[in-house]
Amino acid sequence: MCVWCERYSQGHERWYLNPANYARRLYKVRKEEVESAGAEANPQAAGGMATVGRDYIEAMQANDHETVERLRTAAEQRSWAVHFGQVVTIEEIHQILEIIYPISLITCACRRSMRGLPDEENFTCVGMGPGMYKWERWPETYRGGVHFLTPDEGKEVIDVLNRRGLVHCMYTFGTPYLGGICNCDYPDCAGIRTAQDLGVKTLWKGHYVADVDSDRCNGCALCARRCQFDALSFSPSTQMAYIDPLKCFGCGLCRNVCKPNAIAMVERASLPAVAEVW
Amino acid sequence: MALPTILVDDEKCHDPLSCRKCLLVCPTRVLGLGTSVGPEKFKQIDPAFFVVRGVRFQFCTGCDKCVEVCPTHAIQISFDGGKLA
Repeated sequence: MCVWCERYSQGHERWYLNPANYARRLYKVRKEEVESAGAEANPQAAGGMATVGRDYIEAMQANDHETVERLRTAAEQRSWAVHFGQVVTIEEIHQILEIIYPISLITCACRRSMRGLPDEENFTCVGMGPGMYKWERWPETYRGGVHFLTPDEGKEVIDVLNRRGLVHCMYTFGTPYLGGICNCDYPDCAGIRTAQDLGVKTLWKGHYVADVDSDRCNGCALCARRCQFDALSFSPSTQMAYIDPLKCFGCGLCRNVCKPNAIAMVERASLPAVAEVW
Repeated sequence: MALPTILVDDEKCHDPLSCRKCLLVCPTRVLGLGTSVGPEKFKQIDPAFFVVRGVRFQFCTGCDKCVEVCPTHAIQISFDGGKLA
């Protein structure tokens, strides 16, 4: 079972479908935590979206498993308390857009750090809740400001980002407060990179796993470029899509471009071998 | 596999967010843009405190594209553990 649902769903189907996790009262928690921690405790701000430092990479290269384990645990505890994400499907995002307020389009901090993207080219992030009024009031601090959206406009934006091939992730800002729908890809998203490159779980897999129906797959390979997690490849022997269920994050991007509907999103919990693979 | 030493001279690198040539040219996003003050109000948005640093060292191939593209020669990369001035 998803530990976040266990702790924070309060009877709702998922923790991110529980309106309480978008409640205003939680917003201050994050602020105190981050500011009291200071610059030293926040390598993300200081080092350009780095959740861990060079010592972690060096330990990895030296096969120093003990040090890697210690640093990983510390980085994950910090991330899970303050800022981590979970992949969700487009259907779930549409549900979420019905329960959050306000909804706004803002600039992406990852792509600013990785690519130095100017604000006008960088509106790929959806922010929500009372924090967005700070973006509105101080656009020079929260670069680019905000565009407030209705739920229907929000869905349109998400659909466009999905067609572009971006993965939707729910991110906490002082767990369990949910403040952002990040729309991510490899290699420009810090969350995906940290999880994939370093094995630090700043981004959790979602509640689904993609499954290919070999009777329906017509071998068009449209899905092959959609996977951001190295889970989907196109098999030369079968001329069909091949998905590794252990690597699949359950975002549904491959499924969304499959014309013959050969890819189904299966509940993670229904597959014993991957039920606890997050 | 060798990890590079990446040195960015902040004195020479002015307003990296406006320039961003090194960030764009890096094939594997080794470099990251951050601030030298962390999340400190009003300083974190001041270009005077923006810095470029090596972050994802394990992906650096040593192609030196960032070194060559930098208009102020602020970036140095070394793989042999040699000292950088």
